[in-house]
Amino acid sequence: MRAMMAILSLVLSAAWTAGAIAAESWGLPEEEETRFEAKVVDALCELTGDCAQRCGGGKRQLALLTGEGELILPLKNVVPFAGTTVELLEFCGKRVVADGLFSTNRGVKVFALQFVREAPDGKWRRANRFAGQWAAANGVDPKSKTAQQWFRNDASVMKAIERDGKLGTGE
Amino acid sequence: MKRRGVFAALLAAMLWTVPLSGAHADARHASAKTVKVTGEIIDSWCYLTEIMYPLGTAHHQCAVWCAAGGIPVGILSDDGTPYILLSFQDNGQSVANPALLDLQTHHVVLEGQAFERDGMHYLVADRVVEDHGITNMTHEDYGIQPFGE
Repeated sequence: MRAMMAILSLVLSAAWTAGAIAAESWGLPEEEETRFEAKVVDALCELTGDCAQRCGGGKRQLALLTGEGELILPLKNVVPFAGTTVELLEFCGKRVVADGLFSTNRGVKVFALQFVREAPDGKWRRANRFAGQWAAANGVDPKSKTAQQWFRNDASVMKAIERDGKLGTGE
Repeated sequence: MKRRGVFAALLAAMLWTVPLSGAHADARHASAKTVKVTGEIIDSWCYLTEIMYPLGTAHHQCAVWCAAGGIPVGILSDDGTPYILLSFQDNGQSVANPALLDLQTHHVVLEGQAFERDGMHYLVADRVVEDHGITNMTHEDYGIQPFGE
């Protein structure tokens, strides 16, 4: 009986863990939940041979190169209006397991990264590192409204909107 | 004689290696095409997923937010092809590049090298040939995306 309980608890624990990192639907066009293993590469380097130290140190778009040679450019993490370079940079040149959503629309398949871990069995991490890094760089509490609404409070955004207006036309 | 033989073998190995490494580079790197692309600077995520109206003045503020957040900036050519910008004016910074923030929503002519890989078009934009400013006035029909303010 004790052994059965132990097995049941292990199974439940594994199921909970798997569920906790399963991709979440965002209702995207032709959405497909996916998980795959790939190497994190500097997209510009991979396409042109123009390579930089440490995949560009956060200034370059990073891509996922699968074992079959498919190059997947992740466009989005789980933080509002933010991309994936911050989430993938520490894995530059390493293999990761990427979990998230494919969406096919306008003839193009795109990928949104929701969870990532170093392959084959690193610790899962939600792809939300951007928020904490932005808060730290701007000296604010990551749980504050300022950090949650980073896109309204970012210095580069404020400068552009003050100069050109919300429509970009100067009105 | 023996020394000459070793030298010849080394030379042959070098000659053999050079074309091999060249072939490897060609296979790994996509072939580039020099192009001029005319179109609107866009936020790739909102355009490709259509999670909101993604073009022109209606989407300008959101496009600036996304560019600042590191979502790839693109150009939607007038023929309907979306390109992801991986480099701009000899600057490999494609994440939150201030020059690209300033160019959001503008209708421009970019010159550079185009690549296609696995269904995605990429552009290494060497220079802005023409900048027509913002010409796509969509806010009267679509308001301000996505929050209306």
